[in-house]
Amino acid sequence: MQLNHAQRELTVKVVYYGPGLSGKTTNLQMIHARTAAEGRGKLLTVETHDDRTLFFDLLPVFFHTKGGYTVKVKLFTVPGQVIHNATRRVVLQNADAVAFIADSRRSAGQENNSYWNNLQDNMRENGLNAAQVPIVIQFNKRDLPDTKTDAELEETRARGKEPVIGAVAIRGEGVLETLFAVLQLAYRKMDEQAGLTRNLGLSEAEFLKLVFARMDVDGTQVRDWLAAGGGPR
Amino acid sequence: MSDGGDNGRPEPRDSRGERPESVLQRRLTLADMLDVGTFNELVKGFADLYKLGIQVFDEKGNRLAYIKVGNGDFCGYVFSFPEGQRCCTQTVARVKGGPLATTQNARAPQSAAGTKLHGMITVPCFTGLRYLVLPILWEGDVLGRVVFGPFTPEEMGELPTSLTDLTPGIDLAMAQSYLSKIRRAPESTIVKVLLHFAQLLETLVAAGQKTYLTSQVHIEATLESNRDLEAQNRRLEQMNVQLKDMDRLKSSFLATVSHELRTPLTSIIGYSEMLAEGLVGSLNQEQTEYVRTIMDKGDTLLKLISSILDVTQIEAGKVRLTFEPVTVGDLIASAITSVRPQAQKKGLTIDMKLPGRKVEARADREKLRQVMVNLLSNAVKFTPKGGWVQVLVTEVKFQPEIDADGWRFVVQDSGVGIPADQLEKIFQSFYQVDNSSTREFGGAGLGLAIVKSYVEGHGGVVRVQSELGQGSRFEVILPVSPPPPRAVISPPLSEAPPSPPERF
Repeated sequence: MQLNHAQRELTVKVVYYGPGLSGKTTNLQMIHARTAAEGRGKLLTVETHDDRTLFFDLLPVFFHTKGGYTVKVKLFTVPGQVIHNATRRVVLQNADAVAFIADSRRSAGQENNSYWNNLQDNMRENGLNAAQVPIVIQFNKRDLPDTKTDAELEETRARGKEPVIGAVAIRGEGVLETLFAVLQLAYRKMDEQAGLTRNLGLSEAEFLKLVFARMDVDGTQVRDWLAAGGGPR
Repeated sequence: MSDGGDNGRPEPRDSRGERPESVLQRRLTLADMLDVGTFNELVKGFADLYKLGIQVFDEKGNRLAYIKVGNGDFCGYVFSFPEGQRCCTQTVARVKGGPLATTQNARAPQSAAGTKLHGMITVPCFTGLRYLVLPILWEGDVLGRVVFGPFTPEEMGELPTSLTDLTPGIDLAMAQSYLSKIRRAPESTIVKVLLHFAQLLETLVAAGQKTYLTSQVHIEATLESNRDLEAQNRRLEQMNVQLKDMDRLKSSFLATVSHELRTPLTSIIGYSEMLAEGLVGSLNQEQTEYVRTIMDKGDTLLKLISSILDVTQIEAGKVRLTFEPVTVGDLIASAITSVRPQAQKKGLTIDMKLPGRKVEARADREKLRQVMVNLLSNAVKFTPKGGWVQVLVTEVKFQPEIDADGWRFVVQDSGVGIPADQLEKIFQSFYQVDNSSTREFGGAGLGLAIVKSYVEGHGGVVRVQSELGQGSRFEVILPVSPPPPRAVISPPLSEAPPSPPERF
């Protein structure tokens, strides 16, 4: 989080982390597609010819608060290939929250674990306290054969404190839900650190409402969560 | 630190010093994202095409591009009047640094209905000319502004009183002729041109941002990898020092133990000899046989202990060679003598082939004899019953392996041979091709390590060729003139080359 009172600007950094080809870039592309142009920047993406992310992707989403603050949410992805660990660590620096994009297929279990450990290692390397940086787990590719059952997802959820969300990112399912969950936790962490409610007059509900104000939330759970207050487990 | 080298993870950040803030955390300026030189060329092309002056400023008011078209004479003339100068300066300041809002003399531009103006404003000049100013918006931030103009509005007729009142004595004809050099167009047209320019600029900034961020992140990632490698190198260096210390300890332990073993063993052999020779009374045949077995086994043990001592001496760097003229034939005959009993037991034949004349080499007699004995006893040990062992010495000639004139001493046999993947390893101390507990052939795996060290001490090399089941051929290539004896022979382990002296 970068909070600049002089410029009245709050910058939030969310990093999409996970194994190669798990759908991190697809998540950003879907958010980009669902957000009105006034509320976002261009999607910066550098891919190789085989659709692998070479450095990172960046999608900025921004809005203005009633109190006159500009809030910028910067969504980054890391490159998934093993050899790009140094880039992953650079991109992960100062992250406020992480969306961990896992592949739901049973065959990907080992990859998921290895990147989960890699995330913990790189957080520690960056001086981030893994206990204090909230993480949301997205189980992507729920439509493919060999995918874990809902009961198995429940098991994963029960094993940790991170919210777990199923997704088919390529069809946009679960993408905004994941963004909602990760921003909700990011807000709570920042509020604890910098008192956003007190100092910026920005409540959690207001923050989430403004982020999604320019996004098309039709047909997603986000619409209900925004209306009723609440969020994923 | 809790996560040291043993789990292969890099050390935590704090132990590697501070890292500068990543470019991803920094707010980029227009100058970061535009290549100013190329951008100026583009602006110039655009200004020439539309016959319009264009200026581009960053958010701090620094000018990134400035192309004047047509207004130089007119503005210069107005500027020559004191009041003209004052008002001109004011207008320029308003255009360049004033608020991007319809305040302080600025108003909304005239444009076709439905045109999205993206925050554009019109700033009229007291001369009747006009400027259009457009904020450069990027990801919700204002990164700077583009100024178009001055241009003459299509509808403008006479020079306005706001100019003529302030500039008494102005030559209207001259002013009008200067004015005709400035682009005259409807404001809505210039609005369209400016919006088009803004689109172009946005594309440039997007491309520039991508290039800038990726190249910077690439550099950061490279530095990051470098820091990892440095940390890993430091850990490896530490481990290397530890390993060397342990190796020295091992050698010193072996030397002490071997020495301590040899003393009582000599007594055991000595007393057995006295018993066997009947010095303390005669023994019956069975007793004599037993005592001789004790002597034989004692000898084997003594040889092993001597080898260990040799190796530990080599490893401790305590071996010194003394070169003297040595008759090669005698030396080889003596080496053969010492393995003859074992060879006879197995029914092996041993031949020797020497060059015709009496050959004399410069060598350390004892060490070279040891080399030949070790090679011969291996040949005898690994050759099955009824086989053969042959020793050859070639004429002196140029030997490419040592890049000098020299001899080849060859020991070959019809034995079991050595697997190809082990040929590299057999010269290491304690290495055995068959390392199983049930192995057929005894030995400590020191003979060839000693051979290699001694031969290298002579400035020579050892080569081996072998085929499984067919036999092995060891070649010792020795130079005619050995190098001046070094104080020590280096151990057979390869050492890292010494680092070059520091240049600065």
